[in-house]
Amino acid sequence: MSADTLLYLPGIAGHPADSPALDALRAAGGDVVVPTIPGLDGRSGFAVPDDHLGWLVVVWDALDATGALPCPVVGASLGGMLAADLAILRPEAVTALVLLAPFGIFDEANPGLDVYALPAAERMGHLFAKGVPEPFVERFAALGPDDGPVARYLSDVAAASLLWPLGDRGHADRLHRISCPTQVLWGELDELLPVAVAASWEEHGLPVATIPGAGHLLEWDQPEAVATRITEFLN
Amino acid sequence: MKLLWFHLMPYPELPEDFNRRHRSVWVDIDPALFDPEVIAAAYETYIDQLVHAEECGFDGICVNEHHGNGYGLVPSPNVIASVLATRTSRAAITILGNSVALYDPPVRVAEEMAMIDLLSHGRLISGFPVGTSMDTAYAYSVNPGILRRKYHEGIELIRRAWTATEPFAFNGRFTQMRYVNPVPRPLQRPHPPIWIPGGGSVETWDHCATNDYVYAALSYYGHLMAKETVGGYWRRVEANGKEPNPYRLAFLQFIGVADTDQEAYRLYREPAEYFFNRSLHVYPGYADPPGYVTEASARARYKSQVRAVVRAKQAKHDLTWDEMVEKGYVVVGSPDTVRETLEDVARTFNCGHMLTMLHFGNMSDELTRHNSKLFGDKVAPGLRTLFADVEDHWWPSGASAVDAADPVAPA
Repeated sequence: MSADTLLYLPGIAGHPADSPALDALRAAGGDVVVPTIPGLDGRSGFAVPDDHLGWLVVVWDALDATGALPCPVVGASLGGMLAADLAILRPEAVTALVLLAPFGIFDEANPGLDVYALPAAERMGHLFAKGVPEPFVERFAALGPDDGPVARYLSDVAAASLLWPLGDRGHADRLHRISCPTQVLWGELDELLPVAVAASWEEHGLPVATIPGAGHLLEWDQPEAVATRITEFLN
Repeated sequence: MKLLWFHLMPYPELPEDFNRRHRSVWVDIDPALFDPEVIAAAYETYIDQLVHAEECGFDGICVNEHHGNGYGLVPSPNVIASVLATRTSRAAITILGNSVALYDPPVRVAEEMAMIDLLSHGRLISGFPVGTSMDTAYAYSVNPGILRRKYHEGIELIRRAWTATEPFAFNGRFTQMRYVNPVPRPLQRPHPPIWIPGGGSVETWDHCATNDYVYAALSYYGHLMAKETVGGYWRRVEANGKEPNPYRLAFLQFIGVADTDQEAYRLYREPAEYFFNRSLHVYPGYADPPGYVTEASARARYKSQVRAVVRAKQAKHDLTWDEMVEKGYVVVGSPDTVRETLEDVARTFNCGHMLTMLHFGNMSDELTRHNSKLFGDKVAPGLRTLFADVEDHWWPSGASAVDAADPVAPA
């Protein structure tokens, strides 16, 4: 594995395609590995784990299967929550950490939008500040008119089960265990996790930078700005 | 057949412009709409109506569970059922039911239901619904991805808790207990009958058929829309190799009886419009939390998108009274009209337990009692003889069904 390899954990809507931010990171000379996260991949027959620890086992098996670790890890949204736990619980696996609007801490003063209390057809529009990117318009369309919608549903089942009901898995009590260099980036227009929530991560010693014009999936809304920040941080 | 009287216990004073000014009757309904004095009075009236139902000859009286809901003021049906247990003497106390996955540990459900069975001297029917998405995923924030596994595990624990002859340890995925030993156990042995209120999922039908539970089809949309659901259930009963005993099924129907068809049409319009056009105003965002339906049900749903669209149009809530009657949401008419319709429904559905909804919406106490009395006196006798030669294995041992041959005296 290249010394410049980084691992990217996608967010709440899975990984229908590489974002332009990942292309920019590759153009900057690095290799980006995107693991297939069971459940988020919409596969049939996957039973969501009973609890967060069960999820970590599933995710770690997937990450270890890539052979990329140890390496820098970039985690977005719920992938950021999982990446933070990887750095906390397996510090030898993560050489640097970038969290893009991570779930994990719920701020009662800034509850944000409950995206799962929206009609399914309306959810995707609230993840982005600049319109829904084409790969997210109809995820899993390649599977056809019968299986595609089912895969979309199953992917959402996995994501929702990771986050229900508030997306708080007690990270505030363990962030002090992160020992690798860490950068947190947050979209200023995030509807799900308002940018004010970033303060909850900052107060645990994690530096936060905000990205103007970006919603929750900021690497899709502002790919160049996000890629530049990541590259500068890793260098 | 058995006739049961079902009460949703709705809030009776939602404002007329509720639909326009509020987005949902459920989950985030404005608490300022509720006057505690009105609710206190409603509880008293509604409990009296349930007691009156027994006096009118109904075989069972039913309550159910909802949370954060403007048309069902009963977060704990066990509280109401315990009152009914001591104020009645014959009717089956039917709790439809306790949403098992909402209770940690579920042994609490086993304990409370056992108490009600004892208080009622063995008249309890124990219902275990999964619970609606509004009740479970939103009002109680249970992760929908694990809801059904937690539910099934909870029922298993309750059954063992009711029947075990010694303390035991339970090592479930969601509940671990070193000592399960509820005191008291129920009066009925091995345990009270279990009914499963549900919608139309194949998993629920199989769950009922394989475990010999009663499937209670609780749609509010009447017998015409329920045909597909009921047919699907009986196909699964057959596929599971079980006999088609009509008492395996319970079915809910809104009903309005008056001396003439014309009078019934006039009397029940307002409460029906209140219920269907005001009480069922639920924000669509609460209907589909990811994980609430299984993969198999999701697959069936997406493969029948066209049917779903048709069904959604049929179930629209800005209905006219004529539509409600025409589509069978409410069966209204003279005693003869109602009896003929319900007899046909019972025969077509092979349904041994009819859950009659004789109060709905903002129906007055006077009209509710009139409805119950007319049904009990003039409709029920013609229905009781149905399936009289078939044994009901799902009826509580302490409850006395009305004798079809002598409806004046308890059997």
